[in-house]
Amino acid sequence: MTRTLMAAALAATTALVTPVVAQERGGTLNFARYDGSRLIDPIYADRNPDIWMVGSLFDTLLRSSDDGKSIVGGLAEGFEVSEDGKTVTLMLQSGLKFADGSALEADDVLFSLDRARNGDLGPWSGMLGSVSDVTADGSTITVSLSQPDPTILSMLATFNTAIVNKDVFEAAEGATDQEKSAAIFATASAGVGSGAFYVCGFEQGASMDFCANEHHWEMGADGKSLPYLDKVHFDIIPDDATRILKLQAGEVDAVEFVPFSRVAELDADPAINMNLYPSTRIIYSPINTRESRADGSANPLKDVRVRQAINYATNKDALIGLVLQGAGQPMTAPLMSSSTRLASKLDLYSYDMNKAKALVKEAGIEAGTKVILTTLAGSSDDATIFAALQQMWAPLGIDLVVEQVDGATRGAKNRSGEFDIHTYGWVDDVNDPSQVTGWLGYSPVRSAVGTGWESAKFNELFEASGKEMDQAARAQQYAEMQDIYAEAAPLLFMYETPFAVAVSTAVDGYVQTPLGANIFSRATVSK
Amino acid sequence: MAGLQYVLKRLALMVPTFVLVMIIIFLLVRLLPGDPAIAIAGDKASDADLAAIREKLGLNDPLLVQFWLFFTNTLQGDLGRSIMMRTSVSSVIIERLPTTGFLALLAVTLSLLIAGPLAFVAALNRGKWPDTVIRTLFQVGLSMPVFYIGLILLTFLAAQLRWFPVGGSGDDFFGQLYYLFLPSMTVALYTSAIIMRNLRASIIEVLDAEYVQFARAKGLPNRLILGRHVLRNALISTITLLGLSIGNLMSGTLVTETVFAVPGLGRLMLEAIFARDYPLIQGLTLTFAILVSIVFLLTDLFQSLLDPRMRLT
Repeated sequence: MTRTLMAAALAATTALVTPVVAQERGGTLNFARYDGSRLIDPIYADRNPDIWMVGSLFDTLLRSSDDGKSIVGGLAEGFEVSEDGKTVTLMLQSGLKFADGSALEADDVLFSLDRARNGDLGPWSGMLGSVSDVTADGSTITVSLSQPDPTILSMLATFNTAIVNKDVFEAAEGATDQEKSAAIFATASAGVGSGAFYVCGFEQGASMDFCANEHHWEMGADGKSLPYLDKVHFDIIPDDATRILKLQAGEVDAVEFVPFSRVAELDADPAINMNLYPSTRIIYSPINTRESRADGSANPLKDVRVRQAINYATNKDALIGLVLQGAGQPMTAPLMSSSTRLASKLDLYSYDMNKAKALVKEAGIEAGTKVILTTLAGSSDDATIFAALQQMWAPLGIDLVVEQVDGATRGAKNRSGEFDIHTYGWVDDVNDPSQVTGWLGYSPVRSAVGTGWESAKFNELFEASGKEMDQAARAQQYAEMQDIYAEAAPLLFMYETPFAVAVSTAVDGYVQTPLGANIFSRATVSK
Repeated sequence: MAGLQYVLKRLALMVPTFVLVMIIIFLLVRLLPGDPAIAIAGDKASDADLAAIREKLGLNDPLLVQFWLFFTNTLQGDLGRSIMMRTSVSSVIIERLPTTGFLALLAVTLSLLIAGPLAFVAALNRGKWPDTVIRTLFQVGLSMPVFYIGLILLTFLAAQLRWFPVGGSGDDFFGQLYYLFLPSMTVALYTSAIIMRNLRASIIEVLDAEYVQFARAKGLPNRLILGRHVLRNALISTITLLGLSIGNLMSGTLVTETVFAVPGLGRLMLEAIFARDYPLIQGLTLTFAILVSIVFLLTDLFQSLLDPRMRLT
């Protein structure tokens, strides 16, 4: 029996059944970003400012639904997974075109998926590790798997599997794939992607322009091709205060990454809509669980009771009030945000100082035990977290000391295990919990986010869940993994935060997805 | 002829300076904690990916090999490829240099326009209310961090009154003048406070000098005394200070260009440091060293024009 998961692309259906209505079109949306893109290529995008823009320029065969909880059609109008879970068949829409008007065909799909799973190229090839072959028959694409893979549909909806124009790519200057990719991006012209926009202007680190792709397949409410806008202009403004001033002065229409301390002020401005988009972003702190520190000294955090104690002693609601001005919620799923599929809803170390004190007493922690919290230098959020934790943990006899470093140093410390506890954050790249679960808990991958924690049972469950096609059984495996992880507390579980984007009231239809992608295809700016 | 010899000698002396700068910056960059491969590939990258990046960038080679490559390539005008920009360092610097250069020149001009007349007014009214008011105002300017002055100017003159843009840089001369006025003024307010204090003190000192008293006794007109004798002599130490200020101004662009969203060399340097972009940091440092050396040379030349006692040999 073949299990059909979806029959027709959502957008194509929408175009057929939605009555044609008057729709504002044209204009430029000016968007202020905190950091610029460097190379927007599906397989080379490795930083969020690149990853979150891929979807505007390149379409994937499948897509995540708007709420991020299911998979719907994209360039493929239908897809089927075979009963043994080892074959995925996808039917391409007819009449697809790239932004330069050339036809998007099966050859382009094969070329793109072969690129995506080539381990010698981009860093994301492992996400297609189960794919053994990709073939085409007319507009039917067959993806063969070496083993059943419950994540494959999500992977085919992920940015790294987006489709690029084979002919444009092969004709580009450069000796290597990466050089060709950089040359195409630097050229800033239509042709390589089939997304709603193409890059039509780029000044590294300063600005970027997206122009509308008039050949885009997706239809708007007026029955014409999306996007509604003619253009999106991006200014790169790293300073939070300047970015917000730009919006207040009317020089830009939208600003991202609004500091939470400014959310209430902007919310009160009648000319601004302060949007808090649900996200998969979690803020947590890995705890070094090794027997001893990197310098050989005794590690008080190796004792699970101490890790549990600091979790109990951390008043998450107070932290959310201090850092996020209330715009967040305590983590309830230990391995992911609560909006992610298969997330548990646990009472994850609600504040209980008595329990915390009992645990440290049981563990024999002496008063004045020194613990170092490594934070990001210059981050006001981290400074606030440190000040709060220092106060909260003092009754346990823990003398919390701060060590401020920059991002690259913190990353290196995480890998080498030269830390006690440090601030960290995560946003899912994939619409499936396997990525974040592997990152946080599966010890063969980066020692469970650098903590050194290892559980054979957890690893066994994770490996089994990677082949489990029965959704109920997989959900059970994830529930068990989350219970094990919560009990072991290799993290200080903190909170989930939304994406804070402030837009002018003239802007409508802009969305940032839970995975962080910026969606401009249905955005409009009133003239 | 002596002047030309002096310039050539100074230029020749710059060579060991630049070699020393290259050695220091090469070593300092590599002493920074943090792995450039992580900065490039991100925290989520696998160990294998990081190892491949290090190999590709030559970071696994011995330090001496890396330095020799950097040194010989630089001598041939090749500053390498930026890791984060994926393009040649020289082209990025050439692209950004005009913006920072314009900002610096405008800031210096504004500093002189502000500090010069007010220093004269303060010195000529020593101890009276104009002197007190001017000194107090500049003291306030001097005590405020540059980024704070910038934010105040941005909030009132750009966001509220909308006389200037909040950030960015223009395309042509007038566009740049419009966009870079506020960032230049921010730097100028700070720099002019230093220059004003120095110039005021110098003017007061020169006003009390015997040759000025003699000129007055001779009955020379006041305008001539101030222009020919006072200003010329008072400017000597101020020119030195101005040269040093321009050196400081280069580092000040790191803050100013970030606050005002100006895509110049200062902001680029900050991004390069955070991204551990070794070739770009090295290229930018060398560029700043060359610019500062040129400014110091020009300062010395200008001083010799003002003061015959400092004739070049």
